[in-house]
Amino acid sequence: MTEGKMISVTIEGRAVQVPEGTSMLEAAKVAGVLIPHYCYHPGLPVAGVCRMCLVEVEKSAKLAPACATSVAEGQVIHVHSDPARVARQGVLEMLLINHPLDCPICDQSGECELQDYTFAEGRKDSRYREAKRFNPVEDFGGDVVYVPNRCILCTRCVRFMEDVAHDPVLNVSERGDRAVIGKFEGQDLTHPWAGNVVELCPVGALLSKDFLNKARSWDLDRSASICPNCTQGCNTALESRDNVVVRMRPRPNEDVNKYFLCDEGRLNYRWLNRRDRVEFPHIRRGDALAPAGWDEAVEAAAAALRGRRVHVVASPSLSNEVLFQLAQVIARLGGTGVFRVRQGPEAPLDGVPGLSLRADRAANVRGAELLGFRRTETPLAGLANGDALLVADEELAGADAASLAAAAATAAAVVVIGTTLPSWAMRAAVMLPIANMAEEEGTFTNVEGRVQRYLQAKAAPGLARPGYAAMGDLLTALGDQTVNVVPSDVFRALAAAHAPFGGMTYEGLGLRGATVSAQAQPAALAAAT
Amino acid sequence: MPIGVKVLARPIDEVSYVRAAVKGMALTFKHLINPHKVTVQYPEHRDPLSPRWRGTHRMLTTEDGTAKCVACGLCPAVCPANCIKLVPGEDENGNRYPLVFEIDEFRCIFCGYCQEVCPEEAIHVGRHYENSEYSRDGFVYDLERLMAQTHPVCEMWDPADPKGE
Repeated sequence: MTEGKMISVTIEGRAVQVPEGTSMLEAAKVAGVLIPHYCYHPGLPVAGVCRMCLVEVEKSAKLAPACATSVAEGQVIHVHSDPARVARQGVLEMLLINHPLDCPICDQSGECELQDYTFAEGRKDSRYREAKRFNPVEDFGGDVVYVPNRCILCTRCVRFMEDVAHDPVLNVSERGDRAVIGKFEGQDLTHPWAGNVVELCPVGALLSKDFLNKARSWDLDRSASICPNCTQGCNTALESRDNVVVRMRPRPNEDVNKYFLCDEGRLNYRWLNRRDRVEFPHIRRGDALAPAGWDEAVEAAAAALRGRRVHVVASPSLSNEVLFQLAQVIARLGGTGVFRVRQGPEAPLDGVPGLSLRADRAANVRGAELLGFRRTETPLAGLANGDALLVADEELAGADAASLAAAAATAAAVVVIGTTLPSWAMRAAVMLPIANMAEEEGTFTNVEGRVQRYLQAKAAPGLARPGYAAMGDLLTALGDQTVNVVPSDVFRALAAAHAPFGGMTYEGLGLRGATVSAQAQPAALAAAT
Repeated sequence: MPIGVKVLARPIDEVSYVRAAVKGMALTFKHLINPHKVTVQYPEHRDPLSPRWRGTHRMLTTEDGTAKCVACGLCPAVCPANCIKLVPGEDENGNRYPLVFEIDEFRCIFCGYCQEVCPEEAIHVGRHYENSEYSRDGFVYDLERLMAQTHPVCEMWDPADPKGE
C-alpha cells in the first residue's frame, strides 16, 4: 500500500477516499457496504477462489472480484445491481448443490455465512435434482473435526495453516466436484494455533470438538474480554449460556492478536465455571471458618491486618485495579508484595510477528511488575515473624505442606481473598470471596504494556463480590478516606499514582486498549526495599 | 309536594308485568317440549375437534422409537412464551439429540409456532384437551412424557387448501 496517495471511488452511490492499493472489498467496508465474500479474510492472503464478491464496475466489460481488485481513481462500483446480484445468486446455487441442508444439526447454524447470504440473496430453491455428494466426517486431530459435505472450498483454512501458522498440514485434495480439504499423510492439526481454522471457516465444515453440539449460537451471550491464560493479552469474546461460559473466541484487534487466538487460550475457559467456589465471606469462630456477612468479615479482615506488616501473595491474574488496591494496603501498613507465575511452553504464531502463547501463563504479570510487586518462585519466603499474610486469589498450588505449615505458624494472621478455599486456607482468620475475571470488569496490562479492559460475562456465585469492591471496602475499614469501589474510580486513582499509567482513563481505554508510557519505571512498593 | 316532581301517566298495558311473565314462561315451556341440542353428554359423547385444534404437545418418534428431535434449538428460539427448555447433547453415534427437552404446558400459549418451525416434524401440538394432573409439576412435560402421548396431532393447515381460502 502506497503511503499518502488517496483514491476517490463511489460505491453504491457513496463517495469514499481510500489509500491507493486498497481492495474494492476493503473500500466498500469504509463506505459501510458489505460485499458478500467467502474466501477473503483480512488476516489471510487473497485467493479469489469463491467468486462470491463479484461486483459491477461501471465502464468495465465484466464483473470484478472485489477482494482481488484494487480500486482505481473515479471508479463507480455497484454491489447490489442486477448483474452482480445474478452472478452471486449463481455462485450460491452452485455452492448449495452439494451442501447438505442440515442446518438444524450444524453447529455453525446462526453464524454461518452461507446461511446468511443465501437468506439475503439466494434462490429460494435448487434446480439440482441429482444426489448430493457424500463424504464421511473426518477427525483432523487437535480440536478440529472436518465435515466435508458442508465444505465450500474457500481454502481459508489451507491458507491459514500455510501462510500464517507456517505449518502446511492442509491441502485441497482431489479435483473438480470431488475436491475436499485433505490432511497430508501422517500429519494432524496439532499446531498450537490450529484451532483458528474453526473461526476462519465461513460454514460448518470445520468444527470445534470442544463446542460440538453444546449450544446454539443464538442462545449465547457475548461479552468483550481478554484471554486470561497468558501475558499476550489476546482480545477475546467470552460466550456464555445460562451463566456458564461455553466458549472463548478471538476478537479482532489489529494491534495485539489480529484475528487469532491460540488453542490453549481458547480451550482453557473451564476454570471460569468452577463449581467449588466460595459463596459467602467466612470468619474464624473457634477452630473452624464460619459464614459471615460482608460488613463483619471486612471488619475482621481489617482487624487481623491492622498494626502489622503485611506480606501479600497476589495472583498475577488479578486486574490492575485489585493489584493497585493491594499495593495501597501495603503502602498503608508496610510490607512486601510478591507473585508467582505458572510457566508453560512458549508457542509463537510465525506469520504474525509479536504474537505468541507466552511462557508466563497469567494475564497481568506486567501489571503486577509495574505496580511494584516482586516476582518470585517462593512466594512464602520473606514472611517475617509477626507479619500478616494476605493471599489474594492465589491457591498456592504445588507448595509443599511443610512450607505452608511453617508460613501459617510464622504469620500472625492469615487473610485470604479469593475464589476458592484450598485446604491450607482453612487456617485463615478471614476469607473474602471475590468474583473471577469473567464475573467482574477491570483491566490487564499485557506483556507489551498494553492496558486493556475486559467486561463482565456472567454473574458471580452467592455473595462473592468483584475484587475491586471487596478491596475498596477493606481499604476503607483500614482507614483509607478515598472510597473507591467502582473500577473506573480505582483506575483513576491508579493512573494518578503510577507514572506508567499516567494520562489514561478507564473509559478512554475503550475496547482496544492503550500502551503504558515506555520510559516510566515500575514503581517500588513503599516498604519493599 | 314541596318541590315540583312531575308524575307521568303509566298506562297499564305498557307497564304491566303480566304480559312479560307470560312471554317468558311461554319460552320456558316451549323448551320443555322442544329442547335446544346444546348440552353434550360428555364424557359419553364427545364432539369432534377441528383438525387445526392446538392442544398439549406430542413428540413424534422414528421407527426405532427414538425422538425425531435433533435439538436444533429453533422451537425454544421461536417460542413466544419461553416455555421450552432444550439442552442439546451427542449420542454414542455422534448424532445430535435432546439431552433435556421440557415443555411447561402452563406457560404455553398454544400458538403452534414450535410445530410450524420444526424442521424435523418432531414436536407437534395435539388435538387433545383433557389435561389433569395431581400436581403442578405434572404439567412440565419431559421428553419421555411427550413421546408417550398418543393423541392425534394438529394439522397446521388443510393439505387440500394450504392457504386457507
